[in-house]
Amino acid sequence: MYDLAKKKAAHLLKKRGSLSSLSSHEVKAKETFAKTKDSISTVSYMEELGHHDDIPRPAVQMENTYQLSPTRRFPVLTVTSYLQEEKYEPELCRQMTKTISEVVKARVKDLMIPRYKIIVIISIGQIRDQNMRMGSRCLWDETCDNFSSHTFKNSSLFSTATVYGVYFE
Amino acid sequence: MDDDQSAEETAFVVDEVSSIVKESLEAVIGRNPYEQKRVNQWVSSVVEQCLGQLSKLSKPFKYIVTCIIMQKNGAGLQSASSCFWDNTTDGSCTVRWENKHLYCIVSVFGLAI
Repeated sequence: MYDLAKKKAAHLLKKRGSLSSLSSHEVKAKETFAKTKDSISTVSYMEELGHHDDIPRPAVQMENTYQLSPTRRFPVLTVTSYLQEEKYEPELCRQMTKTISEVVKARVKDLMIPRYKIIVIISIGQIRDQNMRMGSRCLWDETCDNFSSHTFKNSSLFSTATVYGVYFE
Repeated sequence: MDDDQSAEETAFVVDEVSSIVKESLEAVIGRNPYEQKRVNQWVSSVVEQCLGQLSKLSKPFKYIVTCIIMQKNGAGLQSASSCFWDNTTDGSCTVRWENKHLYCIVSVFGLAI
């Protein structure tokens, strides 16, 4: 099994255009094995993703980028439909934030973009002549991670919805 | 023994993150009243300072830090988050902080790579 995995690792490294010699392939393969707890996991990552969820996966070459436009539809529709006529009430809005975040998460999951982790944040606040500021910063890989957000307002409440998509290497 | 060490190094430690956040908030806002002109800069500073400290931890994580600063005016605010991730390796930490004039909510999400 070790030999087969080593061959596959060498093949994969060659495919990526690596110019290193075979001896350093061995070193690289050994390093990968040392990091994972079980040599079986390296074979599985090359064949099929998502089998051994509890065993840490070694790094895979990165793929696609998060598509902003499909997601942008969802926060708009969900948030607007749930909150159109509502007045701010603490209990109701508490439940509403949880419900909306679950619904938006489910709809983004329905998009079935593989290897992405999703974070949905919903805030509902009362409008009462106060001022407020929301900001966020992210430490991630710009080429494949992204976010989408939307704000909604009616006469007594406002709501912001943000969805972050982070690629799982 | 190696397994334990690696698990500790790559887990999302809530206490550590929460203390980093509190320090940033104290340093940037402290006892200042809500000032509309400065709040934009406060949000940026808090978030950037948190991110800087988090990256110094040198853990294999991607971070998302969000900050809400709200004037104290009797208005209510509800916030919820829903996450699709790996429960064993990823985590989040939310710190609610206030002074006499404003509320501040900082959330840090850590996603393992």
